[in-house]
Amino acid sequence: MNAFLTRNRLIVLAYAGMVVLLLVTALFSPGFLSVSNMRSTVVLAAFVGIVALGQTFVIIGGGIDLSVPWVLNSAAIIMALLCGGQDLPLVWVMPLLLAGGAFIGLINGVGVARFGVPPIIMTLATNVILQGLILVLTGGSPTPSAPALIQFLSVGRIAGFPVIALIWLALTLVATVLLSKAAFGRHLYALGTSATVAEFSGVPTARTTILTYVISGLTAAFAGMLLTGYSGQAYLGMGDAYLFTSIAAVAIGGASILGGSGHYLGTVAGAMVLTILTGLLPALNLSSGALLVVYGAVILLTVSIGSEAFAGLGGRLRRG
Amino acid sequence: MDLVTVKGLSKRYGGIVALSDATFSARAGEVHALLGENGAGKSTFIQILSGAVQHDGGSILVDGQDYRPANPDAAQARGIAAVFQELSLIPDLSVEQNVWFRHEPRTLLRTVDRAEMRRKTLALLEKYNFPALRPDQELRRLTLAERQIVEIAKGLAKDPRILILDEATSALPAREADWLLKLTRQLAAEGRLVIFISHRMAEVRAIADRLTIFRNGATVAAHEANAVSDNEIVTQMIGRHLDRLYPERMATATDRVALNVRGLSSGSRLSGVDFTLREGEVLGVGGLQGHGQRELFQALFGASRASGAIELWDKPVSINNPRQALTGRDGIALVPEDRRGQGLLLTKSVRENLTLSVIRRFTENGLLSRQKEAALVKEMVDFLRIKAGTPEQLAGTLSGGNQQKVIFGKMLLTQARVLLLYDPTRGVDVGTKGEIFQLMRDLAAKGYAILFHSSDMPELVHVADRVMVMRDGRVAATLEGERISEAGILRAAMLEREAA
Repeated sequence: MNAFLTRNRLIVLAYAGMVVLLLVTALFSPGFLSVSNMRSTVVLAAFVGIVALGQTFVIIGGGIDLSVPWVLNSAAIIMALLCGGQDLPLVWVMPLLLAGGAFIGLINGVGVARFGVPPIIMTLATNVILQGLILVLTGGSPTPSAPALIQFLSVGRIAGFPVIALIWLALTLVATVLLSKAAFGRHLYALGTSATVAEFSGVPTARTTILTYVISGLTAAFAGMLLTGYSGQAYLGMGDAYLFTSIAAVAIGGASILGGSGHYLGTVAGAMVLTILTGLLPALNLSSGALLVVYGAVILLTVSIGSEAFAGLGGRLRRG
Repeated sequence: MDLVTVKGLSKRYGGIVALSDATFSARAGEVHALLGENGAGKSTFIQILSGAVQHDGGSILVDGQDYRPANPDAAQARGIAAVFQELSLIPDLSVEQNVWFRHEPRTLLRTVDRAEMRRKTLALLEKYNFPALRPDQELRRLTLAERQIVEIAKGLAKDPRILILDEATSALPAREADWLLKLTRQLAAEGRLVIFISHRMAEVRAIADRLTIFRNGATVAAHEANAVSDNEIVTQMIGRHLDRLYPERMATATDRVALNVRGLSSGSRLSGVDFTLREGEVLGVGGLQGHGQRELFQALFGASRASGAIELWDKPVSINNPRQALTGRDGIALVPEDRRGQGLLLTKSVRENLTLSVIRRFTENGLLSRQKEAALVKEMVDFLRIKAGTPEQLAGTLSGGNQQKVIFGKMLLTQARVLLLYDPTRGVDVGTKGEIFQLMRDLAAKGYAILFHSSDMPELVHVADRVMVMRDGRVAATLEGERISEAGILRAAMLEREAA
């Protein structure tokens, strides 16, 4: 147990931070811990959490995915357009758009792993290209409302539990198995720690890298469809907030932004922290501008705490 | 009077005691060798002297005055400079810009006085008879050995009264290493103190006036160099009696060919190498540095592009990446040159490092079995006697010798029976060196086939069954039996080029 705590100190810290934040928020706004409020907090956190799932894999592998906003937005808008408010087309539209998200991830991954394009440039470029394509496609006009089935997935409940929370739980299990119990996870941590050492150890570095971007494309597209259900319709710019929050959730969750460490279980706490913060700030009568300031400060704080921990580690590594 | 006197010096990193009780004294005008296994505290000791880290307890007197530098600049202000194994040079700058970095001569307008810098550089290179170096060469174009020489020039540019050389010869080819040894005597004759760290006994013998031996973070003895035998030194270093460094050579090679290479070429450094390596054989690869040895090992392991024919156990194979090389029993494994950059995940555990290449061996239905993994880890930790607190200890916190053992373990677990060992004893303490040589012989006896490069020529002479000498990217000669000697290797490596 002790070893578990040392190894996962940063993840445990993220959960501790989440609990402290919950209590502080409850102090300022007594209704915050109510069942209905916790429920809506978890729903909001789930969107961040699902986008950040792919981001977690990419960042552990030593990359970063800046294309999530418009992968998400594209999936949302194309789904709304293709379904026209009907449930039935979802049968083929959902798989199609998931495949589309995966395909964008494949392009990102191949660009990074096979052609050596720096991840920041590669994913920023696909993000801008997608943005342009969607503007061309829609001409800026509003889209039809979301199909009822998608609305059920994002705001519905089963036995009192939000459906999306159950989906999030299932995805968390899958991610945990992939990271902790599958060869892919071992390869991923090795890759993110040192691509050269991983290559010299026979790790399929290119394949592993590509897969992380594919997963990120998948989760961003999936989140885009669910988010359409939540807001009732798709609109331009709906993914923009998720660039920052997806990366922030990973960082708060204890992953090194340089790769090689972290876990999706930490990211889950990170997504919760960010969402609780958004709930706390109105209670303090802060504007949305102030919210961004606090957001940024929290990221700086957590990442520097993380770096501190790594600096301590670096000092212990012996020379020679 | 002593120039440096150190008493009871100690240093801890968190829970790890790097230095517990170091005592040391040295005079101006001598070459003073520091000896000890890796992890004995030598590195920490010289880091403290050079101002890179600060000590927790004990005292240092320089010229009878208290000495506690806050950083390397403060150490240099007191006349102490260090040349470390890890280089501190900037690849984009020229040789002279590196040598005078942050101490550039200035004009009246405070701009860099290039003419003066050139003059001072040439004067420095000439005074100490440096091997061919052009002041305006861009650093990134230099070999590792040349960079090491620039690093030495940079240390001397500060005109130090005390110069610390940390394994400065380990990256140098024989001729340049000789130059460095002469240089230390020249510096001592000028009245400077040279503190010299090396794992090569012959070098220490050649130049040291006195020597101080470290073990487990403390000084165990100090001697006049001519008053102590090699055996006594080694015994004091490792704390026990070492029978001998090199194991007995046994003829374990069979007629079966494990690795057959024809016309292997890669880039401009490797041009048509032919050789065969047999089951049970240790084949040494020698020659002057930079004649294709590195490229040969990388090409065989698939770490660089190459053309030519490779047969493993009589089957033609094509190896385009390390993954294709590591294919189980019929594969080919590499213990790479750069332990920290290519071999180990320093921030991951011994366990994760050991099993990284064999995840398939403990995966059932797509899921990892921690029990099976633990069994593999235990097998290797026991077999190689890896000294780690637990398998969860971070690889980067192990001593150099134990880090190397972890890399050996990782490669042995792949079950590949053709092993490529590129300078496996570099920077490894003498006790572990002996273990590695014994391991090589044991593996050969079990039918492994080993290709072995060492930058330390006596190792090739004493360990290899045959020695293949490389020159200009080709095999210049293959020495067997009585013909294996340092002179023989050097002759094959150099003769033709000197005749030309």
